Amino acid sequence: MRDREIDEVLEKAAQPPHEVAPALLERVVGSIKSSMQPVRPLLPTWVLAGGLVLIGSAVALAGAARAGFYGIEKLSVLERAFIFPTLGILIWVAAAEFVSEMIPGSRRRMGPVALLTLGSLVLLGVFAVLFRAYPTDHFVSAGIKCLVTGVLHAIPVALLSWLLLRRGFAVNPVAAGLVGGTLAGLAGVTVLELHCANFQALHVLLWHTAVVPVSGVAGALVAWALRFWAGAGAHTSRPPNNP
Amino acid sequence: MHPDSNLEILMTRYQEGDFVAATVLVGRLSPQLHRFFVGQVVSRGDADDLLQETWLRIHKVRHTYRAGEPVLPWFYAIARHVRVDHYRRAGRTTAREQRLEEMPEVAAAMPGESGRTANLEELLAPLPESQREVIQMLKVAGMSLEEVARATSSSVGSVKQKAHRAYEKLRERMGGMELRKGSSGGPS
Repeated sequence: MRDREIDEVLEKAAQPPHEVAPALLERVVGSIKSSMQPVRPLLPTWVLAGGLVLIGSAVALAGAARAGFYGIEKLSVLERAFIFPTLGILIWVAAAEFVSEMIPGSRRRMGPVALLTLGSLVLLGVFAVLFRAYPTDHFVSAGIKCLVTGVLHAIPVALLSWLLLRRGFAVNPVAAGLVGGTLAGLAGVTVLELHCANFQALHVLLWHTAVVPVSGVAGALVAWALRFWAGAGAHTSRPPNNP
Repeated sequence: MHPDSNLEILMTRYQEGDFVAATVLVGRLSPQLHRFFVGQVVSRGDADDLLQETWLRIHKVRHTYRAGEPVLPWFYAIARHVRVDHYRRAGRTTAREQRLEEMPEVAAAMPGESGRTANLEELLAPLPESQREVIQMLKVAGMSLEEVARATSSSVGSVKQKAHRAYEKLRERMGGMELRKGSSGGPS
């Protein structure tokens, strides 16, 4: 059987009009009538994404200003020219994807997992090319300190980003949480690159890059937990069915 | 004029607080949204509830539609969300998946099987949910691959793959039916 024949069968089967009870339509119209008022549409994607990039940059700069710009001062011009534009591009891409996640029916250029993977791999690639000092001192203690610093700075970015996009509507909250967490994690890495002067390759490769997946997964888990609790609340507060 | 552009104008007027536009939209889109829910193998009563819930959700987030964007993916993305939310809340997902796995042998009435044209829901019943919704959006709502990709938060490639797999399954079943008809129609 050819595709065209299957098409014909499907089209024929879809032809009969599907009726909806007029009483149901009246109920629907009645339920929205009472709150019918003009609404202000969301701002364009580039404006919202620009806002998210500003939030990420502001938190990163404020965090590094508080902790000290030791990292960027010690970086060579070439290293700065590679690291910060890369972070800027990744943050822009993540911001645009986060906006798309918050608007139903938006075009997705990249899935949430692909974004997280790409962001982490690109950072690993850039760090692997730039940092070649392989001896390690205080690998775990210094590393955990950086990881915690990065994640702690990702939290305000995530909260402020959510505040900016709070009028949006995520049809898949877990995916939106993953993308939002990835964006916040990239801002956290920016803080570390501005602040941390430990250029040992393994330290940067593992502990700095880890901020992105850790923040991304944390974002997804928080979204999942919020949805779970919201669902449980809705379930328990649902009125009983009519007898 | 593209049929969707009318919907886009109506949607923009709905955002501006035009109650008539909202009423027309409800009348125009409800049958296909209702059919979308019925096609996901829910009872008609459940489909009624889901339709009502979808419109309430649409009304609440109508500001997230942006003029110039295709309107059907926006509606269907919200309808999908309501459907998923409904199953999750009701805690019936597992039971439903089990029911679906058992369905192909029971519910898949093919055209000509009982001397009538099969309805769409019967035709699509054997397909997995992800393939069924793609075929519904393409064939009932008349959406493009790009629009279906937007509605399902996936890529055009993934939509094409699901449609292809759905057609393979339908071909298999329809071929099987033709064979059975051929063998039973022969001399005894």
